[in-house]
Amino acid sequence: MHGPDISWYLVVSAILFSIGTAGVLLRRSPLIVLLSLEIMLNSANLALIAFARLHGGHDGQIFALAVMAVAASEVVVGLGLIVAIARKRLDLDVDRLRVLRG
Amino acid sequence: MIAGAWLCLLAPLGGALAITLLGESISRRTAAWLSTLSVFTAFAGAVASFAGLLGRGHEEREQVTTAWTWLAAGDFDVGLSLLVDPLSVTMMLIVSGVGGLIVLYSIGYMDGDREERRYFAYMSLFVFSMLLLVQGGNFLLLLVGWGLVGLASYLLIGFWHERPQAVAAAKKAFVMNAFGDATMALAFFVLISQTGTLDFEQAFEGAGGMSQTLVNLVALGLLGGAVAKSAQIPLQTWLPDAMEGPTPVSALIHAATMVTAGVYLIVRAHPIFELAPSIADLAAGLGAITLLVAGLVALVQTDIKRVIAYSTMSQIGYMFLGAGLGAYGNGMFHLLTHAFFKALLFLAAGLVIHHLANEQDIRKMGGLRRAMPRTYVAFLIGSLALVGIPPLSGFFSKDSILASALASGGYGQLLFAAGLAGALLTGIYTFRLLFLVFLGEPSPLVRERDHGHGHGHGEGPWTMTMPVAALTVLAVVGGWIQIAGIWHPFGEWLDPIAVGREHLALVEPSVTQDYVTSVLAVGLGVAGIAVAWMLYGSRKWTVPRLAATQRTLEHKFWFDELYDLVFFKPAVLVSGLFRRGVEEPLIGGSIAGVTFGAREAGGALGEAQTGYLRTYALAIAGAVAVLVVVFITVQ
Amino acid sequence: MGNVLVWAIWILAAGGCLVSGLAVITFTNPFYSALALIGNLGSLAVLFLLASAEFLAAAQVLVYAGAVMVMFLFVIAYLGDRSPGSLAGGPSWISLAAIVAAAALLIEVVVVIGLKAGDGLADEATVERAFGSPEEIGRLFLTDHLLAFEITSIVLLIAAVGGVVLGTRSRAEDEEELARARA
Repeated sequence: MHGPDISWYLVVSAILFSIGTAGVLLRRSPLIVLLSLEIMLNSANLALIAFARLHGGHDGQIFALAVMAVAASEVVVGLGLIVAIARKRLDLDVDRLRVLRG
Repeated sequence: MIAGAWLCLLAPLGGALAITLLGESISRRTAAWLSTLSVFTAFAGAVASFAGLLGRGHEEREQVTTAWTWLAAGDFDVGLSLLVDPLSVTMMLIVSGVGGLIVLYSIGYMDGDREERRYFAYMSLFVFSMLLLVQGGNFLLLLVGWGLVGLASYLLIGFWHERPQAVAAAKKAFVMNAFGDATMALAFFVLISQTGTLDFEQAFEGAGGMSQTLVNLVALGLLGGAVAKSAQIPLQTWLPDAMEGPTPVSALIHAATMVTAGVYLIVRAHPIFELAPSIADLAAGLGAITLLVAGLVALVQTDIKRVIAYSTMSQIGYMFLGAGLGAYGNGMFHLLTHAFFKALLFLAAGLVIHHLANEQDIRKMGGLRRAMPRTYVAFLIGSLALVGIPPLSGFFSKDSILASALASGGYGQLLFAAGLAGALLTGIYTFRLLFLVFLGEPSPLVRERDHGHGHGHGEGPWTMTMPVAALTVLAVVGGWIQIAGIWHPFGEWLDPIAVGREHLALVEPSVTQDYVTSVLAVGLGVAGIAVAWMLYGSRKWTVPRLAATQRTLEHKFWFDELYDLVFFKPAVLVSGLFRRGVEEPLIGGSIAGVTFGAREAGGALGEAQTGYLRTYALAIAGAVAVLVVVFITVQ
Repeated sequence: MGNVLVWAIWILAAGGCLVSGLAVITFTNPFYSALALIGNLGSLAVLFLLASAEFLAAAQVLVYAGAVMVMFLFVIAYLGDRSPGSLAGGPSWISLAAIVAAAALLIEVVVVIGLKAGDGLADEATVERAFGSPEEIGRLFLTDHLLAFEITSIVLLIAAVGGVVLGTRSRAEDEEELARARA
């Protein structure tokens, strides 16, 4: 086969996932958090594609396509939320948005 | 005969169930008549069984009918079996017959009470329970009936439950009877472990093989139950208090039937008592002591019903005396006649109470003879029968017991003397009651009631006067079925129940003994009446002022105070200790601790709801990290 | 020779992925973060191609980089300077814990890949040329994975509705906005 083994793809996926996690946990702007979330989703997609290639089956790709569609929907809603928050003149700061405190 | 027995048993139960289920859809009157009819149906069944038994020969006068096996555990099984033999049929006739008359009387007495239906349901329940007790073919069914009559007694004593005294009296009766139930149960346990059965015949056979100590224990346990149920010393304190119940209840349960269950038990289980002569002697002795103590206490009672209650206690003492000495037939004979004249006395007293609008204090009565002449006659006849004046019923039965005592050796003669003393006391207290209530000038209360009622009003509705009349007749002729020394149809009737011998009675007094006894007893009875006349009738003598004796008698020989000190106060103390030491800190504390813990835990968990998005996300990430490790290692 | 080329492209693409990813989470200006993400998505598309997922690479560029990121940029532009990006503030223990958690995840996955799955990852299946082509994916969507297809479309519908609901403003809000702008 040409190129690296599947395991390399998986390593890249893992590193990307951790980067995304760190981004979600460390940043306070909801926009950046959303972006980091996208990174995490994409890393999952990469892993799925890699495994599809490994087993020779298409299931992984189908799954990755579905993930993409769902990620897009989630971004729509997330951005809608951010816009609504901004319109209400609230701080776009994740630490300040604590109304759902239980 | 068998069908008659089942009908007798089940009719009152059907009545009770019908009244309970129909509830308010039937009128109170209907409920009352339903109950009465059910008991009379039972009487019809009893008569049918009686007729059936008469038709058989001497040897075949015993039949056991088993409906199904009720309880089976290993080798031990108990069937739902009824025993039809002369003893049980005698009791069936008494319970359903006298019971029917009393329930009929209740229709008039309880008329207007708001909870009449409940009363009649309970009365039917009681009759059923008592019939189960006497018809049971094994000790277990007897115990079931035993417990159920205790329950019915509790329910009926406390019928007017808004009265705290009634509730307290009901509890007292139940608790003391529970003690007796416990001793009986222990006796049964021993029987089961030694003979493996509770069936009468088999148990009696097996008892022959038990050691003396064990047989004594069984007999003692049975005696404990009998003493509690029949209100003999030392478990007698509940009976006077039980007079809080309606008068018909006192008549039926606490005179004619339930309290005689103890005597029935001794007669039924006579093989066991014969194997344990010391316990039988103890029974006779307790009977003698009771008849004296009760007679003495009755001298100072001021409540009309309580006098009659102590009289009951005393007369049952006679029955215990007879049964303990082996004169079973005579004991049962006295049970029969006592049912007649004691129920008569109670019902007549009920007529008086009814007429005087629930007044029961005899010091407020007097001169009722003019206002209630027929009641006076009934009461007089009942009193004469009680004292044992010939030719009324009590004479024949009581003297037969005393004659048997005389014929039973040294110990028996001692009890004979006690019985004679009791006869004297009986004359005094009975006629004290009669004179104070009926003779003399009408008291203010009586005059007041007369004016309110007007003359010729009649002494009560026919439902009340008819039973009294019937019982009067029975009190007169009831004793004529057995005349000591001359003819003994009653004794012969009961002979077949003897186990292992021809005749039931252990002692047969000679004719001389019979006559001597009769003369002495009647003489002392008449002397008692004379004393009462002097003191209360013509007031020629005055009651001597013996303050200490008076106080002792009024306190019923301090039994209540003794029990309070020995049982009640320690129980209260111990339970108080347990409440402070165990219940509050441990049990209450643990529940409070649980709630406290739950709240604290909830609060602590609530700390996790910080509202920070990032902490939540961190929690998720952390959890995933941990889970991955878990999955790796578990693989 | 071809092998070296493939490796080179792979290393470039992977490096681009990682660098842009780091860039996304470290830039303070959200605009720059969004641009970095676009780069990330592009690199990923290259990696997809190398793994014989051609259709997905195209979809990634079209949908993700093309539509989703454009939406992001629109919103960032709308928010203007109302979108902060500073890293300062917030509880410090969370930062530390976050780094620890992320590192832990990384290590775990690498360990798993290295130790456990080592053998299973060795043999790759041989695939024909049309492996990741649109025809294959399309056929599967309409036969074996029809349910996933339908449900995904419903999810998209829901998201669209949600977006509209979140986006509309009532008359009153409009007036209020206008009044504030005039003042």
